[in-house]
Amino acid sequence: MWAYILRRALWMVPTFFGILLINFAVLRLQGLSLADQLLDSQRGGDAERRVQAADAAIETHLARFRRTGNDLPALINLRGFLTTEDLLAQLAACERRPGYDETARARAEIELWLLGPLVVEPLSAILADERLARWHGPASQALSLAAYRPLLVEDLDRLSVAEQSRLRARNERLKQLRIHHRNTAEHGFVTDDPQAERKRQELLALLREDGSEFARRWRRWTALLLETGFCDFLSKLCTGRLYSETRRAYAFAVIAERWSVTAWLNALAILIAWAVSIPLGVWSARHAGTLGDRAVTVLLFSLWSIPSFFVATLLLHHLCTPTSDGAAWFPNRGLSSPDHLWLSTPAYVLDLAWHAALPLLCLTYGSFTALSRYLRANVLEQLHSDYVRTARAKGLDERAVVWRHAAPNSMITMITLGSGLLAELFGGFVFVEYVFSIPGLGTLMLEAARQHDAPLLMASTVISVLLLLLGILIADILYAVVDPRIRTRYG
Amino acid sequence: MSRAVPILLIVVACLLVLQIIDRWREPQQLRAVYEASQRAAAASERVAGELAALRLALQERPVPLPARGREEPSSGVRDGRPRLGVNFLLPYDRSHLRPELIGGTWRTFNATPKGFNPLLDNSADAGIAHDLVNDTLCMRHPATPDRWSACLAEAVIISDDWKTYTFKIRPGIFWQRPVQAALPGLEWLDRDVPLTANDFAFTLELIRRPEVECTALKSYYQDLASVETPDDLTLVLRWQRKVYTSLSASLGLAPLPRHIYGRHRDGSPIAAEQLGVVFNQHWFDELGGIVGVGAYILERNEPDRLVRFRRNPRHWGAGYHFAAIEWDAEVKLPDPQLVAFKRGQVHTHGLTPAQFKSQVIDRGEPRFAAPDPQDAHAGRRGEFGWEKVVSHSYSYIGWNLRRPLLADKRVRQALAHAFPKERILADVWFGLGRPQRGPVHIDSPYFDPSIPDFPYDLARARQLLTEAGWADSDRDGWLDRDLGQGRVPLRIVIKSHANNPTWDSALLIYRDELRALGIDLRVETYEWKEMLRILEQKDFDAVVGGWQLGDLEPDFMQLWHSSTIDQPRSSNHVGFAHPRVDELAERLREAFTPEERAPIIREIQRLIAEEQPYLFVRAGGGVFVWQNRGPYQPERWLAGVTEGLDRYHPFFNRTPLLWHFVRE
Repeated sequence: MWAYILRRALWMVPTFFGILLINFAVLRLQGLSLADQLLDSQRGGDAERRVQAADAAIETHLARFRRTGNDLPALINLRGFLTTEDLLAQLAACERRPGYDETARARAEIELWLLGPLVVEPLSAILADERLARWHGPASQALSLAAYRPLLVEDLDRLSVAEQSRLRARNERLKQLRIHHRNTAEHGFVTDDPQAERKRQELLALLREDGSEFARRWRRWTALLLETGFCDFLSKLCTGRLYSETRRAYAFAVIAERWSVTAWLNALAILIAWAVSIPLGVWSARHAGTLGDRAVTVLLFSLWSIPSFFVATLLLHHLCTPTSDGAAWFPNRGLSSPDHLWLSTPAYVLDLAWHAALPLLCLTYGSFTALSRYLRANVLEQLHSDYVRTARAKGLDERAVVWRHAAPNSMITMITLGSGLLAELFGGFVFVEYVFSIPGLGTLMLEAARQHDAPLLMASTVISVLLLLLGILIADILYAVVDPRIRTRYG
Repeated sequence: MSRAVPILLIVVACLLVLQIIDRWREPQQLRAVYEASQRAAAASERVAGELAALRLALQERPVPLPARGREEPSSGVRDGRPRLGVNFLLPYDRSHLRPELIGGTWRTFNATPKGFNPLLDNSADAGIAHDLVNDTLCMRHPATPDRWSACLAEAVIISDDWKTYTFKIRPGIFWQRPVQAALPGLEWLDRDVPLTANDFAFTLELIRRPEVECTALKSYYQDLASVETPDDLTLVLRWQRKVYTSLSASLGLAPLPRHIYGRHRDGSPIAAEQLGVVFNQHWFDELGGIVGVGAYILERNEPDRLVRFRRNPRHWGAGYHFAAIEWDAEVKLPDPQLVAFKRGQVHTHGLTPAQFKSQVIDRGEPRFAAPDPQDAHAGRRGEFGWEKVVSHSYSYIGWNLRRPLLADKRVRQALAHAFPKERILADVWFGLGRPQRGPVHIDSPYFDPSIPDFPYDLARARQLLTEAGWADSDRDGWLDRDLGQGRVPLRIVIKSHANNPTWDSALLIYRDELRALGIDLRVETYEWKEMLRILEQKDFDAVVGGWQLGDLEPDFMQLWHSSTIDQPRSSNHVGFAHPRVDELAERLREAFTPEERAPIIREIQRLIAEEQPYLFVRAGGGVFVWQNRGPYQPERWLAGVTEGLDRYHPFFNRTPLLWHFVRE
């Protein structure tokens, strides 16, 4: 039995990471690219002004991207393997030529700027090569940004004051050592800096000084998997430092505020769903084919086919809107009255029940159908099997036959259904929470999705995946409890 | 007996559960009591402090406050129209304030902004909060956007051919004391700090720092050459060149509290070189604070629940009538919001067009008074009051001028003639909003009603299409024409934002009209982010869009200048290029006085209306509703609607300078 549980639990670990990986990849693919984000922020003004503004803001963006881990490739970091030729090709894509497409060009340029410290070596090689003088202007600019080390707030605590001022001085120096150049459709890149040679030498010397920091002989191998967006995400996940930019707070802190409401509504909904469905299913099976059974089936299926957000809106309009005398049947929002802290406990429980009645109704009525109809089919099957006939022949009371023999043996399918219920309810919550204005996880997830708040979405994904896996684990354990065959197989 | 045992067990279990819940609630109750007592203590301390400070100030400098009305009679020079060498600002106007109406809490729905940082958070909701909490150097009333009045600055002199601005800042203004001063370790915030020119200089320095993440704002101040503060109350801004946008950028500047943003949490000053980095994740923002010199103080900020502002008792100016303003952020969808409004949980609200139809016009809610065509204010009488309001936005259908189908001006004019604008506004928007006709908002004083108009006229549309060479040569019912590669039918795909039932209905009506002309209109709807991608890649024949502007002062560079067409994220997504409009738009940037600007604007709007790059549809409008019963005082809302509330009712959105593409 324990071996079985351990085996099931261990399987969860790769499953968990697999799901996270897929989620992360999907999120990265559908989000705006960094180039788009950067261009997005430059609105208005004429062309020249916008280019100036983009130029002035690039360090700002580097810092922001570094903070969110967005500057790193999603899953595999091959930047350490970029050769001088690759970078020359990228530089060529940044050049304005007759008939160029400005959007594509700008994107190529921004991609080049975001390559980071792993390309300092090959870019230095371009700068050091006299024959490539044509590219020295843009290469110096890309180099100064690749070696740029944005100082984040956490660096102020982590790094010594001397180190901070060294980095700051270097950043400043890097900016000054950019070789001025123009990029026009007629001539392409043209260097127009009288001090180009001096700047080139000084820039090379500066980077040689810090050569160890940018050496990539071994680093490119570790960077391959470790310096990636996914790794960055995992490390932040494990240390609880997933930071939501739109909310200016740590993602788990935001969730912690919200989860309790959802959790206990969830628990109640599941409890009600089962408490109603099991007797209903068994009753239907025992009265299979009668008018009552058919009426229940029709009723349940018609309920099942009405979407819950629609029912919720109807209920809100008819039971929560006050008539002209100001009275309404049910409250329209939240899970407790504003003054609930000062109610006596029994009154508080009644208040909760009054507030939760409609949301719970909307959440549960849909699950009655599936659960009770499956159970009905299973119990029917069992009732027609030989051992039930034997039990009846033995003279057992019909109630004992159904509840002690047929029902438990029908439970295996129910467990399978139940394991998905946790995660299913998590999704169904969104609309009901929205309509009844309950500040729970469902609304939070929807808002996060709307705002493209990746860290918050990932954090709530982690939680719902954990819930799903937990549900499956519980189901597995219950299988073992209900089904003696599993117990015997695993000794 | 055997039945009694389970019943007993159930009773015991229930009692146990009650006991557990009781224990669980106890610490919450204690905490609530503690917090309430803390709040009360802090409030009484604050009031005592403020009283003492006021008494001291009165003893030292007994300034007679102007009782009511303007500070001084406005002379001919001080008419608010910008001119060189003199202080042209209208005196600060406090005439709308009726002291007997001050009081009460105004509660309304508003999303809680993600952050309140005046430079970093530029959402519309944060913008409203900034307006409430802070003031600007000079201000404009939305109804008269060409006139500036004094605010934090008593006087401004513009010199050096519109390149130098010298502000005289009003003395005796103090920064608000933030509620966060009650937190442990932040007692140093609980003191009076006067507003000086250095606060403005500090703000501009932050904006111009490369590390500070306010990229949109930075572009306005690119041309700022220098900022000087000869003394505490004098601010001099020097610009590199003469550009009209520098006027709003200078006069509309709001100050940041240097004594907060320039310091660490322990009160020690931030080293100059660290300032930019620290500012991006400043401790005061993480506490959810905002401090200004304006009429309201941010008192509570509970994300996604509630934001509460209270009237600043020491505000230097007039402000609004409400003693407190609360934003309810829990209810997010229109229908639940309407239910909550009917339950009295908020005092004012805005209806969607569909709600206006079902609740007011169709009398679905008898507590709204019936509309009366004779009386525009009929809605004020019901138990729930309602009134139509306007907003500074317009919506349009933009034609992609790069497409050969739409390149001919006559085709676009015909398309405009086929759009039954009046009928659609009446039947789809139920009379909310008015017909928009050109690129200048119809409420702007620069709007010229004599510009070319294209009223609904199918015969004229047919004639224009025939002139443009479109005919049904193959007799399949659709117009076609040879555009160089064989005959093509006149088929237009219009892309619009999903989840907008109002526009869906409008486009259905339009499609039927065009079908009668032999034009095949197809409608596709997209998610918002997808819409933005479509605009960026110019992947459309026609789009439904909207623009929103904070003020009514026209500027044509962003939307209509040909140099912006091929830029990434261009606002000129229809690809409008007209040499004369380019020239005029550039000239307008250097024209400062209304006398210079009016003829230029008149010509531009005439040209654009003639060209019809957009089918201009509707100038925005909505319905403002309020509670008329119980403890609420309708005269306060109405005083607000006619005097001050229109500055920030739910439809009026003050955003600086730029046109913002909005979801239509």
